[in-house]
Amino acid sequence: MEKLMIEATKSSPSICFDPKANFLEIKGESYPENSATFYKPLFAMLDLYLSSAPLRDETFEVNLEIVYFNSISSKILMNFFEALDGAAENGKKIVVNWRYHEENDTALECGEEFMEGISAVAFNLVMIDMVK
Amino acid sequence: MDGDLFTLYRELKRDGIIFCFSGAISQGIVEGIGETLKQKMALEETRVSTMQKVFGIFVEQMQNISNYSAEKIESQKNESGTELRFGILTVGRDKEMFCIRCGNYIIKEDAGGLSEKLYKLRNMSKEELNIYFRERRKAAPEPGSKGAGLGFIEMARKSTRPIEFSIVEVDDVRSFFSIKVMLGED
Repeated sequence: MEKLMIEATKSSPSICFDPKANFLEIKGESYPENSATFYKPLFAMLDLYLSSAPLRDETFEVNLEIVYFNSISSKILMNFFEALDGAAENGKKIVVNWRYHEENDTALECGEEFMEGISAVAFNLVMIDMVK
Repeated sequence: MDGDLFTLYRELKRDGIIFCFSGAISQGIVEGIGETLKQKMALEETRVSTMQKVFGIFVEQMQNISNYSAEKIESQKNESGTELRFGILTVGRDKEMFCIRCGNYIIKEDAGGLSEKLYKLRNMSKEELNIYFRERRKAAPEPGSKGAGLGFIEMARKSTRPIEFSIVEVDDVRSFFSIKVMLGED
């Protein structure tokens, strides 16, 4: 599986998915014109990655740093977490780091809300400094 | 003509309007105005959490117009993504609160269903709205919904006061819909 690299725009986050390194990072704002279309390549690759048996023993690290996401993106993120949680229930080791700026209460609350819906994935809320 | 525009400008200022946009809404408009709105709030040292909420309501309202307004122009060619929808959006200050309003034409027949949906949200507590949001997020989208059908619930749960809305009959086929969200500073 090749790396998936998508650059950020004003309204869509950067995505870096390296299946060989068991690493995924999504970073930025998420309110694209068509969220389903934007996230399609990510979901396609995630399905492929999670169903590939040889990677079972290694921990999949997922770093999310989403400053703002609109309601449609929120639904997509929920589907994303459900896919991760399903795989984790089947024995895949997955760690999610939900990174939020210390002053961005909304991002923290959203992280907490996603965390509640998850059972098998290790979900960490990670505060980061405002310094850019 | 120039005098009329000055009158409009003064009226907007008098009503505490910071931003006013009327016309066709594209993704570029949402990004551009959204950016400027954040920049303005940052210059005024608005708290980050308040800024994120105002920006969030702004995006939901803009995308609501661009998804659902009944006033639109479409490309004659059969391509996707070649339509523009029209509406109006204002962001203002009312004493210590931010006031974010948007309006657009809707098909007259849709008025009943829409007002029923919004009355329901008006009567919910914050806790009920949060639960309802999570429920709807899990559920399949409603028929006729282009997004996830979550926009109004998101506006209602972020709003400091219950959302206000109005639907005015325009002619045999159209009504004008507007919604107002008030946000207090954190």
